[in-house]
Amino acid sequence: MIKILAACGAGINSSHQIKSAIEEEMKKRGHDVKVDAVVVKDINKDMMDQYDVFAPISKMKFSFDVNIPTVEAGPILYRIPAMADPVFDELENVIKDLEK
Amino acid sequence: MATVQSLYNKDLILKSDAKTQEEVFKEVGSFLLDKELVNDEFIDAIIEREHNYPTGLDLAPVAEGLPNVAIPHTETEYCKTKAVVFVKLAHDVAFHNMIAPDQKLKVNYLFFIINDEKTNQTNVLSSLMAFMTNEENMRNLEQKETTEEIYEFLINN
Repeated sequence: MIKILAACGAGINSSHQIKSAIEEEMKKRGHDVKVDAVVVKDINKDMMDQYDVFAPISKMKFSFDVNIPTVEAGPILYRIPAMADPVFDELENVIKDLEK
Repeated sequence: MATVQSLYNKDLILKSDAKTQEEVFKEVGSFLLDKELVNDEFIDAIIEREHNYPTGLDLAPVAEGLPNVAIPHTETEYCKTKAVVFVKLAHDVAFHNMIAPDQKLKVNYLFFIINDEKTNQTNVLSSLMAFMTNEENMRNLEQKETTEEIYEFLINN
């Protein structure tokens, strides 16, 4: 199982929407993933180290190095295929690499 | 699950002549503070929050020539209710793009999401997104001039 960390800036639950969209689409594509949704300010290195892929709403900077693949997931929020599909495709490629 | 339609309020459909983000945040924030819908730290909080995590949404991917929107919001501790406050801007106001913060957008409509409940699972965002990414909705919204017309349109679409 691939563990994914979704992150946003808090207030309106956008990371939860990224989480449910990723879980639904990756399941459809036949991948076993688990996504947790958190707010950016709660992320630390220990937390990040427990995941295989990082899926923030947009590019984010941390005080530590992020050593797992990052896929910017914001476009998923549009819920239109032209925006969401490239993100899902990129994520699926990362997942396929990890599954090898 | 509450939909975004139930969060609009006739008195919370506004028009603004503001030319900058800070100006419109202060104007709308003071209005909401007067109505006791937010606390006195709300204005500073939403200005800072927008700076750190911008909320502009580029609608060009939906259709060419659509106006852009922003969905300003802040942490629940500064809000005293649940509502969506709509603001039609007379001038383009610059906002940074939520999903690509380096990019600047010219924004014409604001949907402030006021939410005082951390555990609130209502998907206001997805409901708003569904509205905004519908080209016909945004074209129709452009035709509405009075706040009454806008309110009627928003609660029925």
